[in-house]
Amino acid sequence: MIVASVIQHHLNKLRWLVLSGVFALLVLLPFLYLYQTYEAAHAYDLLPPTEKAISDSMEWLTKPFTRDPENDLNSFKGTTWSGTLYGLKLSDPLAVIGQVAATLSVYWPFALTALIPVLLTLLLGRFYCGWICPATLLYELNDNLGTWLRKAGLPVSQRRLNRRLKYLVLVVGVLLSAITGSVVFASIYPPALVGREIYYAIAVSGFGAGAVFFILTLLFDLMVARRGFCRYVCPGGALYSLLGRFRLVRIQRKVETCNDCAKCNVVCQFDLDPLHDDFGQECNNCTACIAVCPTDALSFKLTIKDQTFQGPGHLGHLYRKQQGAS
Amino acid sequence: MWRREILLKGLQGLGVLAFSALPFGMARLLLPRQIHAGQQWIPLPGAQTPQTAFVAACIGCGLCGEVCPPRCIKFNNETNGSEAHTPYIDPAERGCILCAKCIEVCPTDALVATPIAEVKMGIAQIDRAACYPWVDQGVCGACVSICPLGERAISFEMWNQYRPIVQQGCVGCGLCVEICPEPSLPIRIVMRDEPTVAQHGLGIRRRSYQR
Repeated sequence: MIVASVIQHHLNKLRWLVLSGVFALLVLLPFLYLYQTYEAAHAYDLLPPTEKAISDSMEWLTKPFTRDPENDLNSFKGTTWSGTLYGLKLSDPLAVIGQVAATLSVYWPFALTALIPVLLTLLLGRFYCGWICPATLLYELNDNLGTWLRKAGLPVSQRRLNRRLKYLVLVVGVLLSAITGSVVFASIYPPALVGREIYYAIAVSGFGAGAVFFILTLLFDLMVARRGFCRYVCPGGALYSLLGRFRLVRIQRKVETCNDCAKCNVVCQFDLDPLHDDFGQECNNCTACIAVCPTDALSFKLTIKDQTFQGPGHLGHLYRKQQGAS
Repeated sequence: MWRREILLKGLQGLGVLAFSALPFGMARLLLPRQIHAGQQWIPLPGAQTPQTAFVAACIGCGLCGEVCPPRCIKFNNETNGSEAHTPYIDPAERGCILCAKCIEVCPTDALVATPIAEVKMGIAQIDRAACYPWVDQGVCGACVSICPLGERAISFEMWNQYRPIVQQGCVGCGLCVEICPEPSLPIRIVMRDEPTVAQHGLGIRRRSYQR
């Protein structure tokens, strides 16, 4: 039991490690691709010095793992929007929905690439948003920047919009895909944007218009609502929230050890209310609240439903006052 | 006044709907409006036809570009139509080597597996008023020597060894456009449904001169 709680306390660090790992991989893959093209051309001597440096460093990186980089590295391609992982093709469920809407037909070999993400989401809820999405890393850093700005006295807005807006964005996106006959999600969905723009910047021709849109979403987060894009606009977040509505793994509060310190509410970037047992389908299992809890009152549990409000924590003032009164 | 209330409710709903469509509109408006210079645009090998079907099936993941060995695949991040983020090839810069790695990696049915001889990216067309051998300004044969399909795609004229003639087997990979030494590119790839010398003989060409 103690071991489990210790592990859960450090899950947030593990999550940061995973997030930065995915992001680093997205930066590394275009360089590996460039190295592959140099290998395929057999023209090392003709390369300019910068490309020679790329070729040398990538050769040093991949030498322990592969003998035939030109072909072997093809098994590790793509972004989180759609990619190949050791020959296993994985796609975002949003990409599948967008494509089905655009073509008005289902291409099963592609639809099935989203099967594993969908099953994991049914089990774990919105974990993709918290643990894998390459945009989340940037958004969380942006949120930390917002906290510093607030401490420095700058006005950082924390408006609240309606959470249901993102479901409408999802529906409107599907309709627009069907009307225009193109997958419109690809141009606003941050993980797709980030992966693609990194690839454009390194291997094609510099940042495109998607980078400008992404910077606008960062400004939206700073000036309108905290993590506003993920909470109110992101169609992928909406889809994962819907799929994870009856997820099995949830963070739950143990009322006996809670002391009502409300640190969990402050640290939650999605503005959920762990203190009053209000997690809901939007929780992305980021475990920041578990890491910050001083009395180990929050932990993962296997349940289909959230608990209803259990009253104030038994270690807090409010509970003691209530006990004295009764 | 229930009528006014219903009207207000409707307006509110429309406002929310417009707000939720806003990000899509902004993403599209941010793309600079720029049409490709000239006709240097051909689809990928095995791409679904017509172009609208290809655009609908493509999810813009960029995997085809990430496996292309000659790095010939570019992306439409400059046109603000529904074609944004879909791939294309600019043969004036780099032609396709028909390795079919993009078809292999494409997760969707945007690129369909096709035998090399049946790929239909377009057909080469030679401007006989600008090609060096055709105006008797030297010997060349670069396009014929680089063609991956050989005799069935492009060959020399029978009486002059260096005058290239496009045959029906041409798939439009664009390697000849890439290699052509004449700066004005007398050889270019046109869509298969356009009238070409290779399909209709010189008559159509003469008519196009009169225009």
